[in-house]
Amino acid sequence: MEVEPEEKELKAAGAQLLPDGRRGLRIHGWEIETHKRSILTSSNFEQWEHKLQTSHLPEMVFGDSLLALKHIETGVQIYFNAFDALTGWKKEALPPVEVPAAAKWKFRCKPSQQVILDYDYTFTTPYCGSERIEADTEKHGREQTCEESNGLCWEDCEEKIDLVSLSLKEPILFYDEVILYEDELADNGISLLTVKVRVMPSGWFLLLRFWLRVDGVLMRLRDTRMHCIFSNSENPIILRESCWRETTFQSLAEKGYASDSAAYNDPSVICDRLQIVMQKTQKLRVSGKL
Amino acid sequence: MSDLDRQIEQLKNCEPLKESEVKALCLKAMEILVEESNVQRVDAPVTICGDIHGQFYDMKELFKVGGDCPKTNYLFLGDFVDRGFYSVETFLLLLALKVRYPDRITLIRGNHESRQITQVYGFYDECLRKYGSVNVWRYCTDIFDYLSLSALIENKIFSVHGGLSPAITTLDQIRTIDRKQEVPHDGAMCDLLWSDPEDIVDGWGLSPRGAGFLFGGSVVTSFNHTNNIDYICRAHQLVMEGYKWMFNNQIVTVWSAPNYCYRCGNVAAILQLDENLNKQFCVFDAAPQESRGNPAKKPAPDYFL
Repeated sequence: MEVEPEEKELKAAGAQLLPDGRRGLRIHGWEIETHKRSILTSSNFEQWEHKLQTSHLPEMVFGDSLLALKHIETGVQIYFNAFDALTGWKKEALPPVEVPAAAKWKFRCKPSQQVILDYDYTFTTPYCGSERIEADTEKHGREQTCEESNGLCWEDCEEKIDLVSLSLKEPILFYDEVILYEDELADNGISLLTVKVRVMPSGWFLLLRFWLRVDGVLMRLRDTRMHCIFSNSENPIILRESCWRETTFQSLAEKGYASDSAAYNDPSVICDRLQIVMQKTQKLRVSGKL
Repeated sequence: MSDLDRQIEQLKNCEPLKESEVKALCLKAMEILVEESNVQRVDAPVTICGDIHGQFYDMKELFKVGGDCPKTNYLFLGDFVDRGFYSVETFLLLLALKVRYPDRITLIRGNHESRQITQVYGFYDECLRKYGSVNVWRYCTDIFDYLSLSALIENKIFSVHGGLSPAITTLDQIRTIDRKQEVPHDGAMCDLLWSDPEDIVDGWGLSPRGAGFLFGGSVVTSFNHTNNIDYICRAHQLVMEGYKWMFNNQIVTVWSAPNYCYRCGNVAAILQLDENLNKQFCVFDAAPQESRGNPAKKPAPDYFL
């Protein structure tokens, strides 16, 4: 059952749901929208392989799914899609992770002319979202876009996302979760990239999460959170925190934790057991007027 | 109406059997399965089905488009359990049909029909949740060890869950495997249930995981030639369109779980062979929402941090 936000809550917050069956809303000068579509068809899959110059992609690529947050006045758009995430995977190109059975396989008699594949089958990505400034279609005279060096600059900062205020049970006016890609690692675990968003009267908050469990070997969790507090300013500020964690099953066992894969199905439950390997906070002042 | 017929009716309504009934059913199934060959002979006409993964209502849709057993003769290529919500009812219905109509339905083993895999991917937890104990999981996983490893239709079409193995050149080599065991981590039996065809290799490839074989077109050509078969029919990999030919129609993947994991939006397919082995793929969608037991759960707003 879909929980529709109360009409009066939307009204009180000055929000409007998007028309024509679109998923999302407009609030405080932002248009926030999700698309949830099927996985790529075989022919699109091949096109993506070609474009990304790879012969392997996750078995489930939700290539037309999307979360986009657009600041209407400035045309600044923050968005999340599988293509950009996989571009990041291709660039990072981590070495493959061997599964436990690999040790035994080294002693198997090898067939002649065996090719050993060595791409990163875990699809680990450093992706933390995409941004651009959209062509201004509403006002004349400012038609040019600045896609490439788009003038959007995330700066390192000391501020932190205010988790206390986010813990308040404000009404949620819009909520959605979009899967960007998923792979079962041929039943050796899971690789999953999702983005969740919630919009409250005070602001929007999202979590982009890359979750990897290679059964018996390791887990990786790469989270990116973004928070934007609504204000009267024309140039709202978005805070972005990235936190990467990684731990091997062996080190969990050494610490006395469970080391069976079944105990690690839900990353939000076990994330504290994973060691932080990278953490940074940045901010973006949304401004399209150059 | 016999007990077995009543149980089949009950399972068709997605109602699980009592623990004692499961135990008795598994014992009867064991007597039948133990007699089957590792390369079980199947007569045409037959309808070949790929992975089901506990998507019970979608399997009912499959029977709707493919016809009921025993009127239609079926071959299921494994992966009955895990991932979906109704692995218990799905597997027990297939097993009850096997006991009731042993010559009209053939079940072969997939890589998910294993103790180790079901403990991670859902079937174990489902048994525990539905029965309050793991006894049913034990009965079922014991039966998994008896499932055949492959099938041969009219001596012309070889069917297996995963694919080929570098340790296997002839069908007779499959016949000599002692299959009554948990799926091993390596060796011929493991490969038959786990390996995948791969475009970018011609001969054999090793997965970047360090375990798991990939096989190319020339491997399939020589296997089909050696064993005088027309093509290989396998399952194991999700295909958006339900089926996919590779290597000049020498191998086909059939996938029978529509809208896989209730979110992929893919169609499913079954391969219908008539008495002359003429092929027809029958493509079908997931069961409509209103015919499912549970209402769809949209993600409830969540105060995630």
